[in-house]
Amino acid sequence: MPVNFMPTGTDYLRILPEIIMTVAGTLIMLIEGWLAENKKRNLSVFTFVAFAAALVAAVAANSIPGLSFSNMLIVDGFATFFRVLVIGVGILSLLSAVQYLKREHAESSEYYALLLFSVTGQCIMATANELIMIFIGLEISSIATYILAGYLRDDKRNNEAALKYFLLGSFATAFLLYGIAWIYGTTGSTNLTVIRTALLSGGPDRNVILAGTAAALMFVGFAFKVSAAPFQIWAPDVYQGAPAPVSLFMSAGPKAVAFAVFLRVFMTAFAPITNRWEPFVWSSALLTMIIGNFAALMQTNIKRLLAYSSIAHAGYVMVAIAAHNQIGVAAAMFYLAAYALMNIGAFAVITHFSRQGEKFVNIEDLAGLGWKQPVTAGLFAIFLLSLIGVPLTGGFFGKFYIFKAALDANLVWLAILGLLNSAVGAYYYLRVLVVMYMNEPGEATLSIQPVSAGIGATLWVAAVGTLLLGIFPSVLLNFATSSSALNK
Amino acid sequence: MTLLDAVIFLPLVAFLITMALPKENHNAIRMFSLIASLAIFVVSLGLIGSVWSAAPGKFALENNHPWIQTPAINYHIGIDGISLWLVMLSTLLTPLCVLVSWNSIDKHIKQFYGFLLLLEFGLIGVFCALDLFLFIVFWEVTLVPMYFLIGIWGHDRRIYSALKFFVYTMAGSMLMLVAMIYLYEQAGTFDYPKILAGLQSGAISLTSGEQFWLFLGFFIAFAIKVPIFPLHTWLPDAHVEAPTAGSVMLASVMLKMGTYGLLRFCVPLFPNAARQCSGVIIILAIIGIVYGALVAMVQPNMKKLVAYSSVSHLGFVVLGIFSFTQQGFDGAVYQMLAHGVSTGALFLLVGFLYERRHSLEIAAYGGVATPAPWLSTAFMITMLASIGLPTLSNFIGEYLVLQGTSLVYFRWTVFAALGSIFAACYMLWLYQRVFFGKASEDLTHHMPDLKFREYAIIVPLILLMVWMGTYTQSFIPPISASNAVLLGPIDARREIHVRATPPRTPAVETQGELANAR
Amino acid sequence: MQLWLIPILPLLGFLANGLFGRRIPKALINIIAVGSVALSFAWVVKTLLALAPIETKYVEHYFTWIQSGMLNIGVDFAVDRLTAIMLMVVTGVGTLIHIYAVGYMEHEGGYYRFFAYLNLFMFFMLVLVLAQNYLLLFVGWEGVGLCSYLLVGFYFTEQFATTAGNKAFIVNRIGDFGFSLAVFLIVRQFGTLDFTKVFDAAKGMPVEASAGILTAITLLLLVGATGKSAQIPLYVWLPDAMAGPTPVSALIHAATMVTAGVYMTVRSATLFMKAPITMDTVAVIGLATAFFAATIGLTQMDIKKVFAYSTVSQLGYMFLGVGVGAFSAGIFHVMTHAFFKALLFLGAGAVIHGLHGEQDLRQMGGLRKQMPIAAITLFCASLAISGFPFTSGFFSKDAILVAAYARAPWMYWVGVLTAGMTAFYVFRAWFMAFTGEYRGHAHPHESPLVMTGPLMILALLSLGGGFINVPHILEPMFSEAAENQALAWLSAGVGILGILLAVLFYVVKPGLADSFAKGFGGIYTLVYNKYFVDEIYDAAVVEPLVEGSRTVLWRGIDAGLIDGTVNGVGRRSRGIGSILRLIQSGNIRSYAAWVVLGSIVLLIAIGFAGVLR
Repeated sequence: MPVNFMPTGTDYLRILPEIIMTVAGTLIMLIEGWLAENKKRNLSVFTFVAFAAALVAAVAANSIPGLSFSNMLIVDGFATFFRVLVIGVGILSLLSAVQYLKREHAESSEYYALLLFSVTGQCIMATANELIMIFIGLEISSIATYILAGYLRDDKRNNEAALKYFLLGSFATAFLLYGIAWIYGTTGSTNLTVIRTALLSGGPDRNVILAGTAAALMFVGFAFKVSAAPFQIWAPDVYQGAPAPVSLFMSAGPKAVAFAVFLRVFMTAFAPITNRWEPFVWSSALLTMIIGNFAALMQTNIKRLLAYSSIAHAGYVMVAIAAHNQIGVAAAMFYLAAYALMNIGAFAVITHFSRQGEKFVNIEDLAGLGWKQPVTAGLFAIFLLSLIGVPLTGGFFGKFYIFKAALDANLVWLAILGLLNSAVGAYYYLRVLVVMYMNEPGEATLSIQPVSAGIGATLWVAAVGTLLLGIFPSVLLNFATSSSALNK
Repeated sequence: MTLLDAVIFLPLVAFLITMALPKENHNAIRMFSLIASLAIFVVSLGLIGSVWSAAPGKFALENNHPWIQTPAINYHIGIDGISLWLVMLSTLLTPLCVLVSWNSIDKHIKQFYGFLLLLEFGLIGVFCALDLFLFIVFWEVTLVPMYFLIGIWGHDRRIYSALKFFVYTMAGSMLMLVAMIYLYEQAGTFDYPKILAGLQSGAISLTSGEQFWLFLGFFIAFAIKVPIFPLHTWLPDAHVEAPTAGSVMLASVMLKMGTYGLLRFCVPLFPNAARQCSGVIIILAIIGIVYGALVAMVQPNMKKLVAYSSVSHLGFVVLGIFSFTQQGFDGAVYQMLAHGVSTGALFLLVGFLYERRHSLEIAAYGGVATPAPWLSTAFMITMLASIGLPTLSNFIGEYLVLQGTSLVYFRWTVFAALGSIFAACYMLWLYQRVFFGKASEDLTHHMPDLKFREYAIIVPLILLMVWMGTYTQSFIPPISASNAVLLGPIDARREIHVRATPPRTPAVETQGELANAR
Repeated sequence: MQLWLIPILPLLGFLANGLFGRRIPKALINIIAVGSVALSFAWVVKTLLALAPIETKYVEHYFTWIQSGMLNIGVDFAVDRLTAIMLMVVTGVGTLIHIYAVGYMEHEGGYYRFFAYLNLFMFFMLVLVLAQNYLLLFVGWEGVGLCSYLLVGFYFTEQFATTAGNKAFIVNRIGDFGFSLAVFLIVRQFGTLDFTKVFDAAKGMPVEASAGILTAITLLLLVGATGKSAQIPLYVWLPDAMAGPTPVSALIHAATMVTAGVYMTVRSATLFMKAPITMDTVAVIGLATAFFAATIGLTQMDIKKVFAYSTVSQLGYMFLGVGVGAFSAGIFHVMTHAFFKALLFLGAGAVIHGLHGEQDLRQMGGLRKQMPIAAITLFCASLAISGFPFTSGFFSKDAILVAAYARAPWMYWVGVLTAGMTAFYVFRAWFMAFTGEYRGHAHPHESPLVMTGPLMILALLSLGGGFINVPHILEPMFSEAAENQALAWLSAGVGILGILLAVLFYVVKPGLADSFAKGFGGIYTLVYNKYFVDEIYDAAVVEPLVEGSRTVLWRGIDAGLIDGTVNGVGRRSRGIGSILRLIQSGNIRSYAAWVVLGSIVLLIAIGFAGVLR
């Protein structure tokens, strides 16, 4: 037990990113009042700077790894990986949001502040080494995201999405909290390391069952956040209803970091009782893939399609968790990064294409885009191919690595079914390609405006990243592998 | 950086350059892709020498350096007698496809030629990859451009066919991926020569169960591509809907990816499983031969007819491979090439007809021979090659395959040989209905004889058919040498030597083969 | 010795005419076409003189054709006495027919094409006879089949011509199917295809070991032979093949190609002699064909059809000879038949030419006035085919019949009966064409010298050709057949009897034939319609095959079963999709319910997991 509660300087350095973003967020809210309408644009620049600074800080923090704030937080490769990832996501969603907000005449500062807070919460989750911290981080991030989901007050779809997300979200969080309570009751601690040792030491059989139940309850919470079956139900409505840039953000950042804590908790604290949770992670993974892929077959709304696709991809990551081995962790990390990139790219295209009031969100609207805006369409094609899992894209290698992990763990059938699932998945992504390249341009495509700078930047970054991860995966993979051994 | 790297990556470079060209300037795009593809062909000619000079069983122009550390994946390429000619086939046909699309492709020219070159890149890569992971990478890379070629520039039902083609193949290759990863788990490497050596030396041991499932994983993926009955139904659709160039590349080269895979990976890596299944597979192959021919006979659509004839021809290849005899293997490879040339030529000629009459229905023709004698002559020679007339390419392949098979399973040979009768039926009837008879006024009007561009396309292929049929020594030796090595451990003729008079001992036999093959 | 020159010369002719024939004048085409064949004939003569006497086989190896494992197939040509005779016949008769064709095709379209094909045929035919291994022989074998296809369908705008061409090719393919299987077996058995090696190995084989496999091989070879040489059951293509121009019928479908089967059988004599069952089969098939075809010949009204069936019948004789072991007699008949049958067709051609394409005997008559040369030459040919004493047919046919008697007397008697019928229908045709009153409407005229010249030469050969004692020449290869003067004269007598009957029917009492026809109405129509064999084949084989492929294989299995399943899977997946969508009611309460439900299931599962442990 820690004797000295006084945080040291290093402690502060280690959470510098969170500090920077919180301060920046608060500042924005304070100074907004004094800013003239036409100056508000500058806030986005300010936010960008804040993110950039946080990014640097996060990278820097990796050079001084270790536990801090009496073992509540931990900075290790794993944490850094996800911090950098979510901050990166933050930056990209900022870039793709700017023009959107202008378009919807909603350029108010909250958006940026909420974005910063949400990312802050995610960073805390990434670094949390203790269930309460995880919960706090989760709440910070979630609440901000709830609001973002309903950002356009006067838009019915937004409100509905926000409400659903909020209600169901808090519902699921309750399960998480309950689970935490159980595990505290069982092991007398909320610190992952302690819980782990407690479970390792065995003790009465009762403990194991209690811990198993706790794991199940927490699983509900996490599964909800990552939209894994049977708790994926909210995702389609919310993704479809929320503003496009927000869906972009939600499908990448919160999801990734939710998986991060999922991995951290289940791979460290609950590792001793793997045989308890492995079966239901296994089945959830399969169910998630099937629901995601098959339900996507029939979708006509592109946002909803991507929602289901993100469910399916959550399924693939669940496979990696089910493998419950180090490669699995690395695979999941790699995949989440790759997925974030390609999904952000896809949503960025939608953001750009949907136009004022998101008029054009049906797959059919994309008809002929391939010949009207070849570059945009080409990049979109790269994202879609990556989502299908075609070689030389991050999607393929990530998938390959995940199923390799599964086979390492002798989950042969899960691997086969998963890969066959991705063949099914190919179908609905291809349908988008079909519409883009093989149909004659429609009214939506003909009236299209040039791509805004922000979106353009997002697209290119995402595309280059996707290809980079596909052709030279080692860049990221080595780091992921080295940091996949979690602090036990 | 060997010559082989150049041959593999030049198409990619050409693709990128094409994509950079201004899309309005059609002629520049056409010219560039023509010159580029021709240049690639010329460069690839250099491969022949190095393969001939390579030691038997060794890969020429091998290049092996790490690509991804964990899992250990290498960029490992090399070429031997089997892959050499398939690479040559790809590099030869690409310029011809550029030429044949010169006028017939009028929309999105730039993307079309781009995809054609990208396809070439993938195809060459597939035949050169010696790392399983690299192999599957190239394997899937070929999918995308072909998907677009069919889907964008195809005929009416193009989208259905493109999707069918993609998903069908995807499903297969996913199984292959699983098998591949599993194999990696056992072998600790994706490196083909290493794995092969390991399996043969026993350093890597698989239970017969594992062997069987792995074999199946690979086999299904390849069987879909070949295609082996009953996994063939994507082929007719894809062929009919694809533009001429697409059909040509599909039939001549892409189908060979499947048979190549069987020969390079399935059989050598899992010989026992291959032996177990050979009975069933041979039956499927023979069903394919006869069934394909019979169904081709009743097709009202020229391209469909040729497509089903491919099913029949590829059946011979599979039969040869699973006879596990030197002749069978050599015949299989030779049949791959011969089919590539003759069926490619057939699709090109059908393309010529389509450009003139804008119909693929046989009924829309009749009496073409009167207005277009040279076109008819070219078609006649190609048709004769395709039905295996001696002195033309396909005969050699079919003969060797059947000869090889007859050495071990004579009964099956009887059924397989029926294919050659039906082949005559469907081809001659096609020819009679399209080229013979009195030409209608309207047809005569729309049926000019071959133009210079078309001569440039078809004459080289015809010469090749004659060459391949008459002087096979220019092609077979490297093939035999490589096959002899693959065959060594699994030679089926061991049994029949006992029966054959005068008896030979396998050992002596194999040496003899190597000696002869050089 | 440059044997390769022999076939290559016609090949060059083919290439020259085929590629440039369209642009060069007729005269040049003639020079190239006829010249190349004549040169090759000259080269044959020179070669044979240089090689004579060909006691042993002379072989030339050019290059390896196919080399795979133990299998090594070379492009080797060889000459022995058998080949020598075939060479002489093929190039000799070939040259004559080429010359004749110059006149006959004068006014036809596609002139250059015709001669190109003809030269190509010569090339393949010569490869066939020169080949020193089975596969090379197969090259010629299929090649001549191709040329026959091309030339039968020469008038490619005519449906019936092209159909006949297809029929010829496909039926031959059926034969080749057997041939190729035989080849596979030979390699499987002997490990080589080289004639010398195979036959030496075969000779060395003990009977009990060889009987089975050799019977199989030879029977399969026989299938090939029946296809190429139009024997039962595969003879059906030959009569239709008359759709081609008459010189083609003369060269390919009478003199040379159709005898390839006989040649091949004789070439493989070593194998056949070790397979008695096959030998009997050959003899029976030959005899049956000879008789059966002759009966049809009795009733045909188309002059070319008459001679076509007579060809089938004569080929039957040759097989009979081979089957009873009189190989040399068989070849002897091949040669003499080449002379008189070529002449018959060319003569018929001259008549048809003179009548501007009229082929129906009923539209002829009394032509001997307008075309005396044709009449006389055809008369000689008719005598020869009827085996009139001291004509060529007399010697060869009797040699066969005598041998047949030695094997089984009944064969002899059937043969003799056939000979009688032969004499009858040939002279029936001759009388109907040249005697009596002209019944047609054309303006008959004699043909030019370029056509009548070859007729006269062939007439001499038909009469005197019998004095070339082939059996003696082939003595070193095959033992000479037994002599039996009595039998020979008897059969010749029957021949003459047939002639006299013809005289009675068509000269003395015209109309008697018709009353006969009426008398035997049923049989007559049956025979006149060639026993409806074509119709039976169509109904029994072709139709079921095509219809079955269309309805069962294609529509049923391919489109219905297989593709149906594939698309079904797709549809079903989308079905699942639409069911899954139903969960998404959009109603928060139900969503919450789902979450609860999920958690409950989960906890129960955990509980079980606990219990199970």
